[in-house]
Amino acid sequence: MRKFLAVVKREYVQRVRAKMFIVSTVLLPLVMSLFGIVPAVILSIDAGSPMRVAVVDQTGKMYDHFNQALFGDEPREEAGPGNNAAAPRRGRGFGNFVLEKVPAENQSIEQIRAVLDQRLRAKELDGYVIMPTGFIDHGQAEYINRNPSDLFSTRVLQSALNRAVREQRLIDAKVDTETRQELFQLVELQTVKAGTGGQERESGTSSFALVFGIGFVMYLSILMYGQVVLGAVIEEKETRIAEILFSSVKPFALMMGKLVGVSLVAVTQLAIWGLAFSAFALYGAGFLAARGLRATIPSVPLSHFIYFGLFFLLGYFIYATIYALVGSMVTTAQEGGQLAMPIILILVISFYLFVPVSRSPDSSFSFWVSMIPLSAPVAMLVRIVTQTPPFWQIALSLLIGFGSVLLIMWIASRVYRVGMLMYGKRASIPEALRWARQA
Amino acid sequence: MAASETTVKLDGVSKSFGDFTAVRELSLNVRAGRVFGLLGPNGAGKTTTIRMVVNITAPDSGEITLFGRKIDSVVQDRIGYLPEERGLYRRMKVVDQLRFFAELKNVRGKSVEARIDEWLARVKLSEWKNKRSMELSKGMQQKIQFITAVIHDPDLLILDEPFSGLDPINVELLKEIVLDLKRAGKTIIFSTHQMEVAEKICDDICLLNRSRKVFEGSLRDIKSSFGRNSVAVRCEGGDGVLEDPALVSKLVRHADEAQALLAAGADAQVLLKRLIDSGAVIGKFEMVEPSLNDIFITKVTEPA
Repeated sequence: MRKFLAVVKREYVQRVRAKMFIVSTVLLPLVMSLFGIVPAVILSIDAGSPMRVAVVDQTGKMYDHFNQALFGDEPREEAGPGNNAAAPRRGRGFGNFVLEKVPAENQSIEQIRAVLDQRLRAKELDGYVIMPTGFIDHGQAEYINRNPSDLFSTRVLQSALNRAVREQRLIDAKVDTETRQELFQLVELQTVKAGTGGQERESGTSSFALVFGIGFVMYLSILMYGQVVLGAVIEEKETRIAEILFSSVKPFALMMGKLVGVSLVAVTQLAIWGLAFSAFALYGAGFLAARGLRATIPSVPLSHFIYFGLFFLLGYFIYATIYALVGSMVTTAQEGGQLAMPIILILVISFYLFVPVSRSPDSSFSFWVSMIPLSAPVAMLVRIVTQTPPFWQIALSLLIGFGSVLLIMWIASRVYRVGMLMYGKRASIPEALRWARQA
Repeated sequence: MAASETTVKLDGVSKSFGDFTAVRELSLNVRAGRVFGLLGPNGAGKTTTIRMVVNITAPDSGEITLFGRKIDSVVQDRIGYLPEERGLYRRMKVVDQLRFFAELKNVRGKSVEARIDEWLARVKLSEWKNKRSMELSKGMQQKIQFITAVIHDPDLLILDEPFSGLDPINVELLKEIVLDLKRAGKTIIFSTHQMEVAEKICDDICLLNRSRKVFEGSLRDIKSSFGRNSVAVRCEGGDGVLEDPALVSKLVRHADEAQALLAAGADAQVLLKRLIDSGAVIGKFEMVEPSLNDIFITKVTEPA
């Protein structure tokens, strides 16, 4: 036991002290937030000035609706003919627009087109919309512009036109303002858990979000630390220390020590991030509260939190041990990387089981999936927050899971020892099985 | 400790890997307080034998006792093992590694720090204490590896090719340390295929060839059993005499002298007389013991 602890201590101290750990702890959240922020920033970049769009409204009714549909209900100033000074405003969706109403009366459409085309060529305009007289009935308008491949702007204009013409058709059908507003009222679907009399209205969705969050953190830590476990197991082979160690410590104790040591490193890193995030969130919540908004803390039963913790650990360990097993079979980290690829695939598949299990948490499919160690963590958590299965099922799932962890580690340690005696031979899977038996 | 006490005892030990038998029916006794040489060509079964002694692998049949008991983790902590395949954690400081290896032998606390300093001073690496091992030269690393085997003050020290790749000065340094440990009453098993080294430090030897024991006993006994049937000669002329198969069964020429193994029934006096008669000028004519190397080659090539 003391030797096992010595291994744990070495793994932990060496790794936490390493520059890599400190750098990744600081850098990863930064990179992640950059991934969140950068796309938003890029999308909000206005390359160049706002789109200047002239509107030829031959129906004489559409311009106001269109303007409102494009810019929303804010008070606005009319951009009169030839008055381009109106401030550009953000349309719904992407891009900025400046609308300009072109008087359509007393001029033939050809004349208007000629003038506008000239202005297009002179780059005074970016495009113009023509709504012909019969537009309200047949719904066909024209958008002449200099850059037909700008799909975003086209789509924004189209959807604004859609809303505008719908509004006008309802007016024409003598539907009053109030009824029109009611017609566009969005529905609200509230989920209420059966048998709770509406008390647990919120907990369903928030638990679900939590399960999803836990699954995601699990996925992330496997992605990050699976390779570390693999590397740790291979380390003694590559540096040829294994034989010295095995004259002092049992292979199983060594393997478990490594697994636990690396896991503690992972826990440390997650805890640092978790604390930083909660500090941030608390600050953010306070900030929101100060502005009169209330962030609700999801009301989840305490027992669920315990299950969350247990199944998170199970998920982490079951995959980490498979990495350890792979590490015991190969001689270099590169080989290990290749052999470990399918693990990620299995992880992703087990993650997607989320959907069928949440649809029918009581089915026998869900039952079996929540018993198989590789898929149990996510599947069982989904079942717990949807229709909590009987306790014996939860206990059995945990038992099978952690039992498998020990079994895999035991096999891995035997494969490891025989592999070392064979001097740098990579094990095929049948060989590994034979080694595990004979060692 | 009495010299007759046995530290390691193997009794009819066999070990095979698949179809390959690495060690066959091996019995031997390693006496306490002596240097025991486990000799043999590559692939003779030396390393497998050692691995069974240190409990890395178990024999298929036969029995191994250490310090009079079957091997367990308590006994394991009394062994210091320097395998042929050895290395260090590249990114770990020298002092941290030594402390870790001591902990794995259940030795910890303040005494360890003192021992680390003492050993580093002894191999002249004190100023490297806080360096990572990747910064050390290969020879320095090898000396650190040696310390990992002795840091917990083992009663039995097993060294598998400890001097390979070391320069003569460091070989001498480690050899002195090994002999010091022997004087301190430790038992040492020394495995090598370099006979010249074994000849200088071993008290007892066991010769292995093709997974079998060829010979076991004290170095003295082996040498005297072969007798003084070799002659070191330095002379000018007389080549025809030295190459006479009736007198000399084997002739090995070195830079300035030759070693002649006398043919069965041949007399050294006759050889000397014939040389003088042939008009050779003799600079040296000395009866010598066969080298361990000669014995080894004779034994290994001898039909079983």
